[in-house]
Amino acid sequence: MSGLKVTALGVAMLAAAFTGATHAQTSINVGCTATTDCASAAVALSEGIFEKNGLDVTMTLVGLNSNIPAALLSDSIQIGGPTPSVFLQAVDGGLDLVAVAGASSTSATTFDTAGVVATSASGIEKPQDFVGKKVGAPGIGAFLQVLFSKWLIDNDVDPREVDFVEVTFPTMDDTLRSGAVDAVVTAEPMMSRIIANGTGQVAGYFLETLPERRPAIFYAATRTWADANPEALAAFRASIEEAADIVNENPDKGRQAIAGFTNIPMEVLSSMKLSVSDPQLDQEQLDWWVTTMNEQNMLQGSPDTATLIQK
Amino acid sequence: MNSSWWKGLVVPAALIATAEVAMRINGSTSMSLAAPSDIAAALAAALLDGSMLAATRDTLISAGAGLAIGGLLGLALGILFGLVRPVDHLMEVTVEVIRPVPSVAVLPIALLVFGFGYTMEIAIVAFSCLWPVMIYTRSAMAGIEPRLMEVARALRLSPWARISKIVFPAALPRILVAFRLAAAIALVVAVTVEIAINPLGLGYGILVAQQGLQPALMLAYLVWIGIVGWSLNTLLSLAQQRLLGRAARVEVAR
Repeated sequence: MSGLKVTALGVAMLAAAFTGATHAQTSINVGCTATTDCASAAVALSEGIFEKNGLDVTMTLVGLNSNIPAALLSDSIQIGGPTPSVFLQAVDGGLDLVAVAGASSTSATTFDTAGVVATSASGIEKPQDFVGKKVGAPGIGAFLQVLFSKWLIDNDVDPREVDFVEVTFPTMDDTLRSGAVDAVVTAEPMMSRIIANGTGQVAGYFLETLPERRPAIFYAATRTWADANPEALAAFRASIEEAADIVNENPDKGRQAIAGFTNIPMEVLSSMKLSVSDPQLDQEQLDWWVTTMNEQNMLQGSPDTATLIQK
Repeated sequence: MNSSWWKGLVVPAALIATAEVAMRINGSTSMSLAAPSDIAAALAAALLDGSMLAATRDTLISAGAGLAIGGLLGLALGILFGLVRPVDHLMEVTVEVIRPVPSVAVLPIALLVFGFGYTMEIAIVAFSCLWPVMIYTRSAMAGIEPRLMEVARALRLSPWARISKIVFPAALPRILVAFRLAAAIALVVAVTVEIAINPLGLGYGILVAQQGLQPALMLAYLVWIGIVGWSLNTLLSLAQQRLLGRAARVEVAR
């Protein structure tokens, strides 16, 4: 290939790159992780509710929840589904984000969808047994690990005495089996597989003692976007509210939508409880999270929760 | 080519067969491993439905554009630093401070600045490819036969003529080696960026398959990336030999 051709190819690639990167700015791209928590958005998309309400919505699967604030700031996504811990830490770090609607929250009916699973060799049976043990969690400082730590604190165990390591969900069973960790903080659909494979048993349901309606995921946007698009936001909220009812009353529609969004096979989802979709979000719920995170010294300042939910 | 080329395939084939038998006997329920036959089936399915080819296109566009931009910048800087010593000394600290920054470490900043998409990935790939090309080119400049430079001076060649007629041809074999190295880096960095952050291409395919609890598809992507990388390297090495003939072979043999 001649130098000229190489240059021409380079220029052509660049041109393709830049036209590909520019997206229509009026539409809403919703970014969520591969869990069932964004089921309301997935259903609103698959059932045409967004479209009915005049919104052009696409959904992007984001690998790591902690990437959502940066993705919002760069306008790659206009609405994202961060966990409260990710959201509050981003706000604490100075990013101007606001919560716009609830996605999922804890409930007495779904406490058993997450838990800590230990090998029998580890001898772990009660919270006190975790001291000095190595525990795998999907993310340090992430939703499950924070709530597991809260459970330890509530049972008079200092989480700093537990040796946490990050283990991704799909590798949890193998990591636990190999003995690299004594226990894993996990959730469905992995949890029932680990138990069915005989790799470990549940050593604690740390969501069981939580109050009702603690948010697990909520929809958030930058304050700039939320202020500039009040109509789109109202339409988004109405859509989520309608879709949340569908998810809670007709979980199979939720599963179908989640399967379409995440590519998780239906045979995995069909035996799985969906998180409760909860479109409402109020300040008291955020305050509870601030308190919980402060117990674990996760925040530098004290976020003003009164301003963090878009009116 | 000798007639015993197949001997190299004995070990991989035996390993694959062992893995297949082991997975079948154990009836593995692993969420991160899959039997080779399942991986092959997933690979075929993903190739047929076009998803893997679309992902390959996205990754190659990012890696290629990043390589082109980073490589050309590296080439220009390498020539400049190699030929004009005072500039080299002036920039030494700056370059040595920026160069060791791992490309993956700039990911969060790149996401804030560029957002998802090709631009972010191209920028990071370009950043990674710049340095090896720059350093190879700079040392290639130093390796040019001094008498050639004397000839250039005696002929009173303009700076541009000196670069295009003397410097560039003399340094070309090493520069091409640098580009081959950078091409391998470009693919690795592009896939890494996709796994970590950017929702497109082969790396994102791995991530989605992993999070969607489809280990066979995830490993199929891995195998495919290996095939793509190997093909690219073979192509580049062929191109190098065609372009340079003997000179390339001498340089590679060193």
